[in-house]
Amino acid sequence: MQSTVEYDSNGSIKVSKPNRGQTILKWLIIGSAIFTVVGFFLMDYTGLDLTQAIPMTIDNLGQMFLSPSLNNTTWSNALWQVAVTLSLGFLATILGAIISLFLAFGTAVNLSKPWLSNTIKAFITVIRAVPTVLWVLIFAIAAGLGSVAAVIGMIFHSVAYLVKAYSEAFEEVDEGKIEALRASGASYGHILFQVIVPQTKSYLISWTFLRFEINFGVAVAMGAAAGAGGIGYELFMSSSFYYDMQEVGAITLIILVVAIILELIANRLKVSA
Amino acid sequence: MAVDNKLKEEQKTKTDFNKKATDDVLISFDEDPEVTGETVEVASKEEVKQMPVIMSIENLNKEYSKGKTVLKDVNFDIKKGELLSIIGPSGAGKSTLLRSINRMIEPTSGKIDFDNKNITKIKGKELRKMRTNIGMIFQHYNLVDRLSVFENVLHGTLGYKNSIQGIFSMYTESEKEEALDIITELGIQDHIYKRCDELSGGQKQRVGIARALVQKPKIILCDEPIASLDPSSSRIIMEHLRKICNEKGITVIVNLHQVDVAKNYSDRIIGLNSGEVVFNGHPNEINKEVIQKIYGTDFDDLIME
Repeated sequence: MQSTVEYDSNGSIKVSKPNRGQTILKWLIIGSAIFTVVGFFLMDYTGLDLTQAIPMTIDNLGQMFLSPSLNNTTWSNALWQVAVTLSLGFLATILGAIISLFLAFGTAVNLSKPWLSNTIKAFITVIRAVPTVLWVLIFAIAAGLGSVAAVIGMIFHSVAYLVKAYSEAFEEVDEGKIEALRASGASYGHILFQVIVPQTKSYLISWTFLRFEINFGVAVAMGAAAGAGGIGYELFMSSSFYYDMQEVGAITLIILVVAIILELIANRLKVSA
Repeated sequence: MAVDNKLKEEQKTKTDFNKKATDDVLISFDEDPEVTGETVEVASKEEVKQMPVIMSIENLNKEYSKGKTVLKDVNFDIKKGELLSIIGPSGAGKSTLLRSINRMIEPTSGKIDFDNKNITKIKGKELRKMRTNIGMIFQHYNLVDRLSVFENVLHGTLGYKNSIQGIFSMYTESEKEEALDIITELGIQDHIYKRCDELSGGQKQRVGIARALVQKPKIILCDEPIASLDPSSSRIIMEHLRKICNEKGITVIVNLHQVDVAKNYSDRIIGLNSGEVVFNGHPNEINKEVIQKIYGTDFDDLIME
């Protein structure tokens, strides 16, 4: 009994013995906490008066959200720009979904060869590691800054995301169902579209719609960052060009409402699928 | 001394256990009328002998990894239009044997002749064509739950279709009518547009049988078709299989756990133990010694562990 128990430096009995990974994780968390605190002290606070800054921030937020109004644009234009942003997101999602479906067939381990699966996974990881904005800027070299580059960049990330989601759904399909069709003489293509797709349809729809919601948000950002147009560009203009807090608030609220509507549609789809 | 006593006691429990295990099988050997139903008419030994051979299996061996043999030198003929049961303890290789017949599992060595054609080496299109001639039904039904009963039954025709026709569900009217006839025969016509996950186990298995029949097969393989079913559904399924065999002349090969069911419905029984055929004969020839031979050595293995 004595030999199996370990004591810590204080002489009390240890109740757990963390392994290497847990120890490393513990020191990582402690280390980043220290750096965060030290970072605050090293920042340059010249000219910042918190007693003044905090009420001003609250005042700005109040202007934005409590008295929103469209001063430099019209309602019809704002809604039209929302439609443009939605279209950008939709286009990127639908093209990404089609590409992802076929790549996911190659990625799912129960439908594919290990070498093919690993190759696609490696490729996908590289795409995911680079932020969307960078992909857009890379394609802007060829397509010019604008909606084309933005959509291509968004497709890249949509594919990286959806291939993972789809292939994991495919891997959940019961091996027996595949076996049953294989035993009846059905071909590989038949199995994909008569077993795998119908069996995972509700997952495919809900993942794709979730990606559409994300792409809508990304499209807003791309409007500002890559000149793709849409409501994001309006937001960029009213904040950086006109410095119009009320309009920034109005546009933010419009985007919020659209996001909520999308969420509601997503829930409906999930139930009916 | 104490150790000695303990050993003795252990030995006694072992023998008791051994006896109990044997009794279990023998109890199931007594007929349970709810499962077996009324005695059905099966072919006599002479009649089976006169049936033409549809498939012959010669020196079939299967090793999963080196030294782990599942099938050892299996030899037997399958007759056209018989209902053949394969019985044996868990892990005897029943499933492997069944899946070797349609090459879902590749045998290590041996030869399988189907319709006077060696099918052990065929590939690609030829293999697919061979599989359309062999239907298969499963313990867990293996239906696509989210599709309708009708769609699942029509999956049986995919083996005859090219990729485009299959992917876009292009079934001809005559295929649909034929499928409907089979569905009606099996008594599930009220459920054709229901999704398969709304059905009971017995109904699902009938959909499975319909899917196999739509293939217009010469042989139907059944892997534990009633192992997940209640007694009355089991009886319905076994009666359908018997009917298919009698009326359509399709050979049915069934893997079974229940000796009494095998005895009641089959024309011939093959007993498998540790990958070897230890019994091949008429159901009437099954007696306690044969049961012991099929299930017996397995008990010893159980005790040794």
